[in-house]
Amino acid sequence: MSLVQDTYIETAPPATPVNGNGKTQAASTTTPVASVWTSTQKILFRIAFIFFISIAIPNSAEWYKLFLHIDWTNLHYRDLYDIARFGSGINLFGNKLFGSTLLGYANWIITLILATAGGFIWTWIVNRRKTARAEYNLLYYWLRVVVRYRAGIGIIGFGFTKLLPVQMPYPSWGVLNTNVGDMTAQKLYWLSIGIVPWYQIFAGVVEVAAGSLLFFRRTTTIGSILLFGALGDIVYVNFAYDGGVHVYSSYFVLLAAFLLVQDVPKIYNLLILERNTVPVNFYPVFNAKWQRFARVGLKAATIFIFLVVLFYLQLVNFLYDPYKQPSVAGIKQLRGNYAVTEFRINNKSIAYNPLDTVRWQEATFEKWSSLTFRINKPTALDLSNGGGDPQRDINRTFELTGVGGGQRVFHYYADTVNNVLYLEDKYKDIPDRRNRAAGVGGDGGTDQNLNSDRNKKKEAKTTKQKDTADKFIPKEAWKNIGNEVAMIDHRAASTRRDREFAEAPKNEKRNRMLLHYETTDGSRVILTGVNENKDSIYVVLDRINRPYALSESSLQAGKY
Amino acid sequence: MNAQHTNQWKGYEKIAFRFFFIYFLVQAVPFDWGYYKQVFAINWAHLKYGDIFQLAHYMPQFISGAQSFAGWGMVAAIAAIGAIIWTVVDSNRTVTYNNLYYWIRAIVRYRLAIGVIAYGFIKVFPLQSPYPSLSNLNTNYGDFTRWKLFSISLGIVPGYESFLGLVEVVAGLLLLYRKTASVGAVVILLFTGNVFMSNIAYEGGEVVYSLYLIVLALFVLSWDLQRIVTLLVLQKPTTPNRFRPVFTAKWQVYARFGLKVFAVFFFVLLYSFKTATGYKHDPYQFPVTKGLPKTAGIYNVSYFRINADTIAYSRFDPVRWQDVVFEEWNTISIRSNRPVHIDSNNVERINAADADKTYELEGAIGRHYYSYTVDTVNQLLTLQNKNKFYKDEQLQLHYTRPNDSTIQLYGVNENRDSVFATVQRINKKYLLKEVERAGRSKSLKL
Repeated sequence: MSLVQDTYIETAPPATPVNGNGKTQAASTTTPVASVWTSTQKILFRIAFIFFISIAIPNSAEWYKLFLHIDWTNLHYRDLYDIARFGSGINLFGNKLFGSTLLGYANWIITLILATAGGFIWTWIVNRRKTARAEYNLLYYWLRVVVRYRAGIGIIGFGFTKLLPVQMPYPSWGVLNTNVGDMTAQKLYWLSIGIVPWYQIFAGVVEVAAGSLLFFRRTTTIGSILLFGALGDIVYVNFAYDGGVHVYSSYFVLLAAFLLVQDVPKIYNLLILERNTVPVNFYPVFNAKWQRFARVGLKAATIFIFLVVLFYLQLVNFLYDPYKQPSVAGIKQLRGNYAVTEFRINNKSIAYNPLDTVRWQEATFEKWSSLTFRINKPTALDLSNGGGDPQRDINRTFELTGVGGGQRVFHYYADTVNNVLYLEDKYKDIPDRRNRAAGVGGDGGTDQNLNSDRNKKKEAKTTKQKDTADKFIPKEAWKNIGNEVAMIDHRAASTRRDREFAEAPKNEKRNRMLLHYETTDGSRVILTGVNENKDSIYVVLDRINRPYALSESSLQAGKY
Repeated sequence: MNAQHTNQWKGYEKIAFRFFFIYFLVQAVPFDWGYYKQVFAINWAHLKYGDIFQLAHYMPQFISGAQSFAGWGMVAAIAAIGAIIWTVVDSNRTVTYNNLYYWIRAIVRYRLAIGVIAYGFIKVFPLQSPYPSLSNLNTNYGDFTRWKLFSISLGIVPGYESFLGLVEVVAGLLLLYRKTASVGAVVILLFTGNVFMSNIAYEGGEVVYSLYLIVLALFVLSWDLQRIVTLLVLQKPTTPNRFRPVFTAKWQVYARFGLKVFAVFFFVLLYSFKTATGYKHDPYQFPVTKGLPKTAGIYNVSYFRINADTIAYSRFDPVRWQDVVFEEWNTISIRSNRPVHIDSNNVERINAADADKTYELEGAIGRHYYSYTVDTVNQLLTLQNKNKFYKDEQLQLHYTRPNDSTIQLYGVNENRDSVFATVQRINKKYLLKEVERAGRSKSLKL
């Protein structure tokens, strides 16, 4: 492998210039192989080398732990997604510069500072030992390989959640019934993609294509241009809508820019200066058989795992277990939008009044295991993206995150034998930590997602309050409810899902309701029981035909 | 179309060129009389940005009605016939079409640049998708069409809209210069490719036009495509374009210079100035006439009587008003359970007259929208339904304002029934705006 071959040293004889005014122009060519680099180039390269290697490898123990625990015999798409998506950069000294994360970019700057220091030390050492090389063509080649594969795998992991459109789910009925002004900008953007799954697929195809093109030397430039353009837009989108993924999307723009460094001068030379241009590319020659096998093998494995296997897993996720919406089907006869015809609380009837702060104004049973209703009373809101990888339906919060307007969303376990719903508020004071492998620039959620001292204290306090959560659902009822982990299509089963259910916390502090339901065909539903404030309620719901102006898509995720 | 300006063009290349030459000439240069009628219809003394936009938004149309691909077929047919005649007449005397190729590309470059810049500046100055009106903020998400939601999503982030416009303008400017034209074309392919896909996905009305721009961009790029592929994909030595146009007479130099200056002045400088001032004084999506002073906001309808019947709060009564929005401008919208026949316009119409500015109700149900005039002497509002399907609906409502937050409205509605309504301002806090101010990292109760 020590041999370096310059593939295109020989230049084709320049074509006779054709000139409109008959004058010939001197043909100029760029110099072929750079066998000697200037000392500035070498220093810059050493810095770039340390910098890009640092940001191309995972920097958190969490990622390695997750990676080692993957059950390759029973995969979940998120296993591969987590491999592809990780925090990087040098974080030994924290991720803050002068006490600020600089919107999350501080890590880059710290890494750059350390890489610069490292680059100069490297230079000093090789100069002192007089082992300085004339050029780094080969090392530059390998650095590009690392960056190409890092960027390619990363964007493919990201792109597949769009290619099989689950990253931006179609709005739930509860969301469709919410005023536009009662949502965050982030929510409105995510929804605007969610309502057009076919467009989301297109966006996914662009990302996956850009990534795939990076796996091959000849298509790297086109892939980089595509990646630069597509992700550049996404960076801007994240700033504009406060999407929270600005750092991670900038990351790909940076990697793409690095890959284009080699090509921009060539394009400039050819198109703007209109000069003859000879591309010079160093490609190592693999002499030994094992080297050739290793190269083809690694490449094939990457493509197989991240294009073939991931596609399959993502397809399964789309069909049976779309990760941002609950995947267990709701009670069929209840599904739909309802008018609240009668509402009694502690036997006192309240007439409809839009300003009333107790009465339910409208209610919806979603396709899945959620009951949504609206009360005109301020409530604490979850402003995160509602993303991450929760397996349990109760923790899948896309239908409530970033949505106000008095909307409440409760998850229910249904004892269909006794017609009882065990409801738990999907809102939680301290949301679970999401995207643990992603590290800095991960979810873009709230501070509350982080393991801050304040949150730890709060958490300790809440667990102390011995809730009756475990007694909330009696054993006999569980028999009728069934085991949630097995309630999705068996093709979507995974070790990851099993593990998360096994580790599910028992004493979470949540609002709870216990409601008995009574209906014949779902056109009228009567709910009686105890609400989250332990008041007894009696609610008569009448199904309404609610036509939407928004046309539904032909593509729908999940199986309900 | 990738002849590398050699001294010899192959026979099939020449035939293909003749076809594409005529095809793109007809697509890019307005030959139809309708276009010039439009030019003469403009009030040049009071030129508006909408006029320039209309001139820039050109695509030959042989069939009246919505734009369709059928017109392209006709252009192709003309080009095919023309190419045959040309080939026969020429009988292979012409050796190369280097000159003509240069000029047709120049025409297409300018045509394309004018087209994208026209759309660019109405985004740079965020006119195209304005911040949603109060009525729109108080409408259910599901009560909008996809196209309207697309526009609303862009409207809430004017900074991003300006950025998108800037990309279009820069790409357009790159097209005006031969050496940067291909770079500009690539940017347009990425950008307008996305616009095209969005039009399909969101059921927008510019599918044909955006594809028209894409085809022009492809033609511009085809000039350098072979070179770019050779350099970047095949990674082989590549010769640049060596062609320069020849000018044999002085007038040619002047004509070229004059046309260039005119295009840049009219479609870039003047247009940017007009859109900038238009953004301040004359936005085209919302009316500019002011509404009743100090009324802007959303109001709960606390009391509602029709003829002799008082109707209690109801979400489902077909007559009762639920809430009323007074916009800053002279629009009132009323939410009720009365169905709305939707105005599903999905193309860009830059209207100068307030009455024609219907963006606020396009693609939306859930509310009825009325423009109104105020007779301050008699304290009378005359409401006119803005929706084209309810042209005949007029309401005459007297108003009194017992206090700052209450308005009483009484008079006759669209069915000549007498109505009486007391509306009370809701001190509405919008999550959209609260979060815009405070960010998402703080906990919020709303």
